[in-house]
Formats: sequence, structure tokens, C-alpha cells
Amino acid sequence: MIERVLKRIAWAVFVVWATTTVTFFINNVLPSDPARMVAGPQARPKDVERIRAQLGLDRPVLVQYGRFMRRLMHVGPSHVDPRDPEHGSCANLGPLHVDLGKSYQQRRPVVTILAERLPRTLLLAVAAVLIQTLLGVLTGLIAAAKRNTALDHFTVGASLVGISAPTFIIGLLLQFVLAYKLRLLPLDGYGDDLAEHAMSLVLPALTLGIYGAAYYTRVVRDELITAVKQDHVRTARAKGLGVVRVWLRHALRNALVPLVTLVGLDLGALVGGAIVTETLFRWPGLGALSVTALLDRDGPVILGTVIVSSAGIVLANLLVDASYALLDPRVRR
Amino acid sequence: MRSIRRKTEAAFGALLAAGAFGCREPPPAPLPHGSSPAPVRGGEMHLASFGDIKSLDPAVAGDTLTGEVIELMYAGLVDFDAQGHVVPDLAERFERSDDGLVYRFFLREGIRFHDGSPVTARDVKRSIERTLHPDTPPTFSAFYDRIVGFDDYQGRRADHLAGVVVEGERVVAIHLREPDASFLAAFAMQNLRPVCPSAGDRYDDTWQPCGAGPFKLEAWDRGRSVRLVRFDGWWQPGKPYFDALTYTYGMNMSTERFKFERGDLDVDRELLLADIFRYQGDPRWKPLGAYDAAPSIGGEEMNVEIAPFDNVEVRRAVACAIDREQIRMVKPPALTPLYRVLPPTLSGDDPSFPGQKYDYAAALEHMRRAGYPYDPATGKGGWPKPIVYVTYKQGLVEYTAQVIQQQLARIGLRLEIRMVSYPTYLAMSKRRGTVAITNSGWSQDFPDASDFFEPIFATAAINDEDSNNGSFYSNPKLDDILVRARKELDPAVRKRLYDDADAIVCDDAPWAMEYLYRYYGVHQPYVRDLAQHNVWSNYVRDAWLDKPPARTSSARASVRLAPRSLLGSILAVLE
Repeated sequence: MIERVLKRIAWAVFVVWATTTVTFFINNVLPSDPARMVAGPQARPKDVERIRAQLGLDRPVLVQYGRFMRRLMHVGPSHVDPRDPEHGSCANLGPLHVDLGKSYQQRRPVVTILAERLPRTLLLAVAAVLIQTLLGVLTGLIAAAKRNTALDHFTVGASLVGISAPTFIIGLLLQFVLAYKLRLLPLDGYGDDLAEHAMSLVLPALTLGIYGAAYYTRVVRDELITAVKQDHVRTARAKGLGVVRVWLRHALRNALVPLVTLVGLDLGALVGGAIVTETLFRWPGLGALSVTALLDRDGPVILGTVIVSSAGIVLANLLVDASYALLDPRVRR
Repeated sequence: MRSIRRKTEAAFGALLAAGAFGCREPPPAPLPHGSSPAPVRGGEMHLASFGDIKSLDPAVAGDTLTGEVIELMYAGLVDFDAQGHVVPDLAERFERSDDGLVYRFFLREGIRFHDGSPVTARDVKRSIERTLHPDTPPTFSAFYDRIVGFDDYQGRRADHLAGVVVEGERVVAIHLREPDASFLAAFAMQNLRPVCPSAGDRYDDTWQPCGAGPFKLEAWDRGRSVRLVRFDGWWQPGKPYFDALTYTYGMNMSTERFKFERGDLDVDRELLLADIFRYQGDPRWKPLGAYDAAPSIGGEEMNVEIAPFDNVEVRRAVACAIDREQIRMVKPPALTPLYRVLPPTLSGDDPSFPGQKYDYAAALEHMRRAGYPYDPATGKGGWPKPIVYVTYKQGLVEYTAQVIQQQLARIGLRLEIRMVSYPTYLAMSKRRGTVAITNSGWSQDFPDASDFFEPIFATAAINDEDSNNGSFYSNPKLDDILVRARKELDPAVRKRLYDDADAIVCDDAPWAMEYLYRYYGVHQPYVRDLAQHNVWSNYVRDAWLDKPPARTSSARASVRLAPRSLLGSILAVLE
């Protein structure tokens, strides 16, 4: 068992490293110039050249990659001084340092920027997944229980609308109705205290939640319809168990196995940031950061967000695997 | 399944088009305003943008958005007035030597930085050297390369910039190695503005921004907002008028409109095309809208080293074939047809100037002279191969590209539009031998004619990589005029020289000039004296708020009763 876990962890590290490496080289072979993006479209060539040299972009790509990997994890002083030219951009756990460099555009350590953004993205991701799971399971259950009735058709139709509508449409609609017209919620932003954070979270989380719930509704409905035809469900009914208990305890539990996979993958993907939703609602998370970094060719920030995203997805997969064991006793064996 | 999805998407599209989000609704009435005859102090101004600022250090700030905040936080020895003339600011006066080689500035008495320390001539020299030091990430250091000792200082052969001389506690002189009539305008830019002693003499990323401008920094929440508060030690008595000013960044344009209409924002400069029409078409709002005066020019940049644009007759044909009125229709409220290089603010808008005009017959004649005659009746002739036209995904240029494609097809030039990302576009279009034709633009760095010629048409601006002269156009006669014009101190003679330069460029046509781009914005009626500035966008230094007292109290009451506040209060209690 321990051997299997260690193998999975080693594989996860490899996936994150491979993703980072591929991103590094793609970002460097693209026909664009990060120094120009820093200097601005009208900067004079001499200034662009100096910025390129200051950022180390005038060195061969392999040299840049070697330096990046060498600095990614290294040993250094236990106290980091932000003015230290060698370790000023590091995050440290005692003498163990993580250094993703400085943002070309913001001229701040990438680890600092990620540390500001990641909690906000995690908050949004968890809230969105909770909403989409609760909503998806509830509507899927109703649709399956009322199969081929008007309620079923309505639920399936509504889910189709939810799947078809891009998040920015759902987001704009919610923003227009709930924030602009009814003034129930803030139009956008993150707020300055816990109460405002919570209020500001509602719209982006609901936008992502409704969009995701549309998929879950269909999955849960189809899985439940298949599950209630299984022998063990029929047996449970024959033994005299109530409908609700049979549906919730025997059918829904089986139907949840594929849903757990989806929830895990969605959570992992959302850790990388919900680009459109974060941008629409000015939620200061990783999604908005990564899109800005990509447009600016801000290499260190791009790599930082990719590392966090890939680590999020890998971790979510590990958790999904672990949860299978809880839901399905056969996996434990 | 797919068709159902398409139908659903189409339904949503129709919903949008039908104005479900208020696009077709007339805008709500402007908010009430007071009736104060003279400026009053107080209040807080709220502005927003979809962009973000990257630094609040004038040494490295270079973009327009950052410039708006820098303009309020840092004062220069000189600045621009709304018409673009250089006027004293921290300096009470300045003078130029007769030979044009020395500029001497006399600082006002008693001026202070935000930290309370006095602004001295030594601070001016320290700030200039800090910005131009070789370790500072440069933005526009090339503007100042005529200061004596610039090359030695940048090349680390000197510890100080010899051309900046402290002549007294309040007198500083700048020596140039040759006369430069554009120097004063470049000096009025923001990069060399004095910074507090805490900034030291070298650039440092971790410095807390601090200057000597009318507002000081209270908080900067990176990626989200900046809040400035009035600096009571500002040298102009009674100014500035606001107590505070908040910029919010990263805001979606539709959210900006929502917030503006409910009064959460006082000015909206980033309007969707549909919203510009809404405001311009409403008599209540029309007087509250205005164009930014700072000009940006746009046109087609033709690489003179790549066929068929290595042939001047083909370039002339393109300049004649472009119907600038049609181009204007792509975004009528923002575009003005442009027939020459210099925008009207600098050229004086002389209607007799020949420039580049739409003339289809002349365009066909130029194609014939080039050796590629084209017959519009049969569609035969012209340049035999498709020409790759590189552009990037951004509303205006991706639409103008299609219009240009259609217009040039009428003279036998068949463009194949290739859409790339903006960074890729920048890299490709400035690399030698890469792009034959592309859309290009230039925004005024400072209001001087040299800024529209030297960076984009002079031979010295050609580089194999990062060439600002993206047409790789070189003309010794033009170069000679530009050098003479830069050194010429007589404004009338200078103007004639730049008119000559403009005529040469229009005739050689490395660019087909197309439009002048201007931003349109609206403000609430209680925002007074919001000047449309010829250099700085969103210029609010002299503005003031004239809000009726009753509105403030009723607004507060309604906020208190709003469910948002009730829920917010509950959560605040829980916290």
C-alpha cells in the first residue's frame, strides 16, 4: 500500500515538473518579446535591449531553464530580506527556499503574488464546487425520480441551457439582475473585510456553480436511472425498504462514484483559476492573474500559475483515488 | 444535440441583442448636482479602468494608466497645461540659454515632499540620476540622451550625470551637448520627477512611493485599487480640491457602466461602442461627454524592404486606395480621418496641406506605373500573389483589417489576414524582413512634432529587432530635415521643417495614414472642471465635486436600508 502511495506521489511530482518544463520552453519559443512587453510598444530599442539584459532574457534558453530549475528549490538563510539580491524573491520554510523569480511586469516576487492570490482562488473554487454539487445532485435526483414527467423535461432542459450558456453570459445575467437591478449583492470586487468577502463571493461562485451544476444534473440523473435498475436495489425494495432510503442509500451512493471524479477534476481545474468568471467579477484570484500574465508574456508568473494549477489537478486526482476507496469497498481490496 | 445547443446559444445571443442588459434602454438620468459658483473643497473622486498599473515609481512608469496616478503623486519642475504647453510647476520659472544648450530651473520656495522634507536642487539631480542609472529598468531614457555626460553615465564610466548641475539650493541647470528644441517637452514627462529622499539614489522595487505632487499615496492594493489623499503641503493654495481619490483596476467595462450610472464611479472613460452611442444620443448626457485631446494616429505600415511595397508606386497606390471615411465608420465616435502624419494639435490642421487622399483613379494609375496594372472590370492584373497582412485580435484593428482587405482588393492587392496575439504581433512587426504590411499606430509621448517622426520614420530608428521604424523606411533627405528641425529653436521655422517632413512621408508612403483615435468619456454633472488635457488622460488635478448635500444623506439612508447592507451587517457581526 505504502509503495503504491509513494509511486503515485512520485508520478505526481513528475507530472508537475513535466508540465512546468513544457510551459517554460513553449513560452520561450513563442515569437514574442517579454522585454518589449515590459518596456511598452513605443519604447526605444536601446531601452528594450537593456531590459532584456536586466531580466536575463538575452541568455540562451537552456541557460535560463537551468537557472530557473536551480533556483526553484534551494537552500538559503532562514531569514529572507526582501532587499537581498540573491534571496529577496524567495519564500522559505527555514533554510529551504522556493524561488519562482520576480514578475517582469510587477517587479515583485512571484511567490508573494501567488500567496496573495491562491487563497482567494481556493475560496472561490470550494464555494463553486459546493454549489454545483449540491445543486447538481438535487436536480439530478428530482429528474431521475420524476423520470419522463414535465418536471424531468424541465430540469433536463434547464441543464441544457446551463451547459450551453457560457459563464460570462450567466455571470452577466446574474450581475445585472442581482447586483445592478435588485442591488442585493456587490457588482464585483473582493471587499475589504470578511463580510464583504462573503458578499462578493456569492456572484462568482453562483456563476460557476450554475454552470457546473448543469453537467452534474445530467450525470446524476443518468447514473441514478441506471442504478435503480440494478439487482441490489431491486432486492432492497423487495426486502421492504422505503423508496427514499433505497434511492439515497443504495442508488445514489453508486451514482456518486462518477460524480466524485468530476468534482475532483473540477476542483483541481478551478484551483488554476476561473479565468472568465474572475475577470468578469474582478475576483483577484489566479485566473485573472494568469490571463494577464499570458497577455504580457510575464514568464515567471505564467510558470508560477502553471505549477499551482498542475499541482492542484494532480492533488485533486490523488484525493479522488482515495475517495473511491471510501465509496467502493472493492477498491480497498 | 449540437443543433439544440446552437439554438440555445442563438437564443442567448438574441437576448443580448435585444438589450436584456440595458443596451437599448436609454441611460438613466444624470445624478443631481449642486450649484456652487466657485470650486469647493472636499469629497472623494472614484475612477476605474479594466487595466492595471504596474508601478508607482516614476522612474519606471511608462504606460498611460499609470501616468494618470503618477501625475497626481509626483510634480515635475515643469508640466504641461491643458493645451500641451510647458508651464512651471515645482519650478517657479525656467530659462533657456540663447544657444539652446542650457536649461536653468528655479525652484519655488518652501516646497515639500509628502514626507515633509524640502525639495531641493540636490533632490532634483538625485532623482534624475536615479531614473537614468544603468541599473534602473529603463522606459524612455532615450528622450534624455542629449544631456551632457549621458553616455558616460549609462556606460558606468561616470558616477554622476555631468550635465545636471546643482547651482544653488533652489537652482538646477541641465546642459545639453547640442540644441534640442524638444527637450523641454521631454523633460516635462513624468520619469525624471523628484522623488522623496527615502527613494535613495538607486531604483529599488521595494520602495514605498512618495513624491511632491498634489496627492499622496494612502494605500495601494496591487491588482485592485489605489487610494490617494490630498497633500496639504501642496504649493498651490487651496488646491487640490478633493479630499481623496480612488482608482479601481481590472473592472469589466459593463460593470464600469453599471457603477457609473448608479454613482459609484464619477467618470466613465472606457465605454463600449453601443454605450458611446447611448450617451451621445441622449440630450441629458451629451454635454457631459468629451473626447480626450491626447492624440494617437493609426495607419497601414508597409515594409519598404519586402515586395511589393519595395516599390514606391505600390505604396502610393495603397495610400490613394484607402477610403478613410469608410474606415471611420468602423468606430465613428472614436475615429477621425487622418491625411498626414501630424495630428491637428501639432500641425495646426492646415486644409491646404496635400497629404494622402482617397483617389481611386490615381490608385489604379500608381499600380499601372508600378508595373502591376489592374482592371476593375475583369478583376485581372495587380500583384500576382496573396500578401500576408499581420494583425492581432482587438476590436478596432481586426475590423479595419477587413475593410483594408476589401479596399486594396479593388486595386489588385489581395491581402491574406493572419491574426496573431498582441505580443507576437509586436515582435513580428518590429523584426526586419518579417511582415510586409500591418496596421500600426503611434500615441503621442509628448506634444512635439519630433515624437511623430524620429521614432517611426528616421533611419536611426531602424533595427533588425525591435525596430520602431517598422516600415524600415530610410530617406537621407528626411533624416536631414529631422536633425535640423530638432535643433531649430525658432518655432515658425521648425513648423515649416516638419511640414516638409510630413510632405515627404506622405509622398513616399511608408505608412498609409488612416485615422486619429480619441477616447470618449462621460462624467456625472457634479464633477466640475474636468479638463480634456492634450497630454495626460483622465486629468483631474483641477477638478472638483459639486454634490448636493441632500443627495448624500438620502443615498446614505437608502444604503442603510438595502438588503445588501442588512446581510453585510449580519456577517460583520458574525466576524
